[in-house]
Amino acid sequence: MLASAMMIWIGGQNGFAGTNQIDDANKLVTQMMVEVESILANDINDDIARRENVSALFDRYFDLPTIAKFSAGPYWRAANADQKTAYELAIRDVIIGTVVRNFDQLSGLKFTATDSQAKGTQLVLVSGTFTDINQQQPPIMVGWRVVTADNASPRILDVEIENISMLVTQKQENIAIIRKNEGKFAALIDAMKQRTQSNN
Amino acid sequence: MRGGFFMLVFGMLAGCSSIPETDRSDLRDPYENNNRKIFAFNMGVDSYVLEPVADGYRSNVPDSGRRAVDNHLDWAGLPSTVLNSTIQGDLENAALATIHFAINGLTFGFVDLTEDPGAVEKRDFGQTLARANVPEGDYLMVPLLGANSGRNLAGRVVDTLTNPLSFFQAGNAGNTIRTAQIPARTVAIRANNFDTFNNIKYTSIDSYARTRSLYYQMREGELRDRQDKVQVTSATDDEFDAFFDEPAK
Repeated sequence: MLASAMMIWIGGQNGFAGTNQIDDANKLVTQMMVEVESILANDINDDIARRENVSALFDRYFDLPTIAKFSAGPYWRAANADQKTAYELAIRDVIIGTVVRNFDQLSGLKFTATDSQAKGTQLVLVSGTFTDINQQQPPIMVGWRVVTADNASPRILDVEIENISMLVTQKQENIAIIRKNEGKFAALIDAMKQRTQSNN
Repeated sequence: MRGGFFMLVFGMLAGCSSIPETDRSDLRDPYENNNRKIFAFNMGVDSYVLEPVADGYRSNVPDSGRRAVDNHLDWAGLPSTVLNSTIQGDLENAALATIHFAINGLTFGFVDLTEDPGAVEKRDFGQTLARANVPEGDYLMVPLLGANSGRNLAGRVVDTLTNPLSFFQAGNAGNTIRTAQIPARTVAIRANNFDTFNNIKYTSIDSYARTRSLYYQMREGELRDRQDKVQVTSATDDEFDAFFDEPAK
């Protein structure tokens, strides 16, 4: 009995993020959504201002180094330092560009957190729904994967909308591009830069 | 007619050559070279036909009209849900779908008279095959039908052939409506997801790879029971677990 209790306790300590980490993740997502609502309330459809706001939001709340490492897949290890730096900048531009282009779609939606659970020792999934304040569209399920490593501020790693992970999608697309280019990581960086330029 | 289309598709796929595993951009996609050609064809059809039609539809048909079409298409899919829920042993969902089908049948499905339209979970034969542990099969891009796994494509054939509505003799008007449902569903889906679809089509670096990734994630989400979702680990969770388990570098 005591041994079972010890096993559960040890499992609780080592297997999953603790209550504090879950609370921290919840606070982070809630705080960010308050800022998003504020930006939307003051949005005047000015692309430059919107890009500045989204960039600031991204740098404050998202974990760019881990996003870069995850989305490059197995090719990250083989990349040199210059390529890693160039890729971080490229993926940042791609993500910010995507959010800026779709920022309008957040208008009229309200986020409500419904559940938070530890996913291993370093991740917390904050789940919730976007509901249309005019009740014209059905609720949209959304999940935020938050990195909650010890001794570091929590940062968002991924957004999952209706079971679709934005980061996993990006990773699978990136791997396809690298493989199509005979394993050349530089080809992915070039393709991302070109796409960012043509999208802007 | 529809059976003939599927036979043609299977015949085309049988003639495709597969890529060695080491050269694939995704292990599930051995026919990538052929799939990419079909994807390019589908994108052409989208550019010349579907996108302009869907754009016109969403611009000119009022919200209430579009909602009525969506309701009718959902209603027309309920017999398949009844059949597949029953096979899957989910009798509650089968009963709910039957009730919804009967009540909304008073308006031929155009008006949703039920109080909780989201209560019924859509079920198809692809899900039934998945529940029976039938292997997923290879990734297949099908002309006009888009992304499918082998299992899901087989499920679509069965869903088409076993749709109980096709056994009723409804006269010429009924046949016309049933035939019109296929393009209507395609246009409605494209219109309802217009911006999302255009984002994939026009702003991704590799829209084929992105479509494939989205297909697998969406399908996996549909296969997991909503009630069990908290307990079931998804393939996405596995990807993140593997990432955090590997030594840092």
